Amino acid sequence: MNKTSTAVAVLVVGTLALAGCTDNTTEASTDGAISVVSTNDTCNVSTDTTAGGTIKFDVKNEGSAVTEFYLLAEDGLRIVGEVENIGPGVTRDLVVMAPQGKYFTACKPGMVGDGIRAAFTVSESADGQEVSADRAALQKNATDQYAAYVKDQTEQLVRGTEKFAEAFASGDEELAKSLYAPTRMHWERIEPVAESFGDLDPILDAREADLEAGDSFTGWHRAEKDLWAPEGYTKMSQGDREEIATKMVEDTKELYTRTQSLEFTPDQLANGAKELLDEVATGKVTGEEETFSHTDLWDFQANLEGAKIAYEDLQPLLAGTDDALDEELKTNFAALQKQLDAYREGDGFKYYQDLSDSQIKELASGVDALSEPLSKLTAVVVK
Amino acid sequence: MIGNYLIGLREGLEAVLIVVLLVAYLNKSGRKHLLPRIWAGISCAVLVSLGFGALLTFGPKGLTFEAQEMIGGSLSIVAVGLVTWMIFWMASAAKTLGSDLKTRVDRVADSSTLGLVLVGAFAVGREGLETALFLWAAARATGETWQPLLGAFLGILTAIFLGTLLNRGVLKISLSKFFTITGALLVIVAGGVLAYGVHDLQEAGFLPGLHNLAFDVSHIIAPGGVMGTLLKGIFNFSPATTWLEAIVWVAYVLPVMFLYLRKVFSSPAATVRNENA
Repeated sequence: MNKTSTAVAVLVVGTLALAGCTDNTTEASTDGAISVVSTNDTCNVSTDTTAGGTIKFDVKNEGSAVTEFYLLAEDGLRIVGEVENIGPGVTRDLVVMAPQGKYFTACKPGMVGDGIRAAFTVSESADGQEVSADRAALQKNATDQYAAYVKDQTEQLVRGTEKFAEAFASGDEELAKSLYAPTRMHWERIEPVAESFGDLDPILDAREADLEAGDSFTGWHRAEKDLWAPEGYTKMSQGDREEIATKMVEDTKELYTRTQSLEFTPDQLANGAKELLDEVATGKVTGEEETFSHTDLWDFQANLEGAKIAYEDLQPLLAGTDDALDEELKTNFAALQKQLDAYREGDGFKYYQDLSDSQIKELASGVDALSEPLSKLTAVVVK
Repeated sequence: MIGNYLIGLREGLEAVLIVVLLVAYLNKSGRKHLLPRIWAGISCAVLVSLGFGALLTFGPKGLTFEAQEMIGGSLSIVAVGLVTWMIFWMASAAKTLGSDLKTRVDRVADSSTLGLVLVGAFAVGREGLETALFLWAAARATGETWQPLLGAFLGILTAIFLGTLLNRGVLKISLSKFFTITGALLVIVAGGVLAYGVHDLQEAGFLPGLHNLAFDVSHIIAPGGVMGTLLKGIFNFSPATTWLEAIVWVAYVLPVMFLYLRKVFSSPAATVRNENA
């Protein structure tokens, strides 16, 4: 054994040790670590989703056989991390670096077989942690998350619309009025998607002022006008109300069915976010959307939330690519939300008619301030 | 308790076996004065492992899974290199043993101070980190129950006990058989260590083929059972062996065994070669 090979061996091992060092995040063992309890026939993971980056599992063996714990990649084959030889009564840690994506957790009591598996999701990373997945994966993740959001919102829209329609048709005006704005928020959050169905949008959301000769006035704003009847307006008959209500539920269910299989692209998300802000600028901040109920600020809030969700889903694509834009968007989203929060009243908002001209002007300039950087988002995310 | 005992036994056997054969060799060849070097290497490995394990368990930094596997796998493969060197060193020494060249052999042995220390250190160290991590984890659990720690310690003690039995056993064998048997055992053990190291590197994703199994008998030999533990501890036999592991094992054991036996029976007699090849 000569000195050169000794030195080489020491060097190799030493380098590996240093290169493989990672934060132990001792603080996390109380709050951040994911606890796993393995028994002879169960594998209890305290959460099935976490933020990307350094992830720590505390694996406790409460069974009687020696167990192992694995974090497997989406294919269920590649080992992302494992800890072997967890004796009965022993807790061992597994520290892994994992980018966002889909995974499986598995306990292997007795160290035999495929183990007791469960799906595990790693979401976008917490601030300042490096995520090494490539951009394509990040883009897919963003659009998948947004698609899930759209599904969730349309589902809630269907349920809300059913309740609203029932109250409206039965003549319970108080209840119908209270459900109107909150239910419409589910529509407004995903407005660009809903509007993309050219046949459904006009019958569900057209305003009386925008109707052309020959169009029939149906949907949300038809109900709005009847509930907040202007002077000289003759209220609908029970039968007419029932007809409008039934059609609303029917069309909303159709919207739900169509959104279930929708797939998006990153530029659709980015453009959609911009469209939502444009909606605010042209309809809500002018008070045109809700002519009778004056609940424009509910719609404003919902449009803003929808845009923010799209931006947040896309954010991992911005980080490290255009940090300045990322920062600007983050700041301006927060600033506009803060402006809007000033008009909150109880669960809802002030009515549009109660806003002063200067307040409206202020809100409009806030919208412009966010709209401007938002128009640059598409170019960055499609890179 | 049993589970932890078996872990201790297995890890202990994996570490002890090479050391025992080495110690037996030095005893048998009358070089007891070299034993402290082995002990020095072992102590060093134990201390470094325990220290490193404690640091990783309680300190601010931990090792990623890949790094742990890479270190474990690389140490195993380095250990195989060292043991192979040892085997041939022993074989050449065996040939001259008892002849008037003994003093020269001793001089060679004496100059290999570092070599002996390293063999001891790597033989123990390659399993040391993993075992230390387990022991500290068990120690951390002692607030709830001390059984895991006791089980593991009893397992290690059993391994050392079995080691001393083996040591005495091989010491009783006649001199010529002794070298053949210890050397051949070491070749098989080293082959197992090599395959094990390869498996670690496969798990780390550094080598491919983790899921291409040559055979899987884990339903017959439970990896956590006594049989599985002993086979794993002694020969590093895995009930579920990948093709790459199997190929590496055969590719190492066959030629090395052949070369070793040829060296031991330095006569080129065809009968010997046929008998053992």
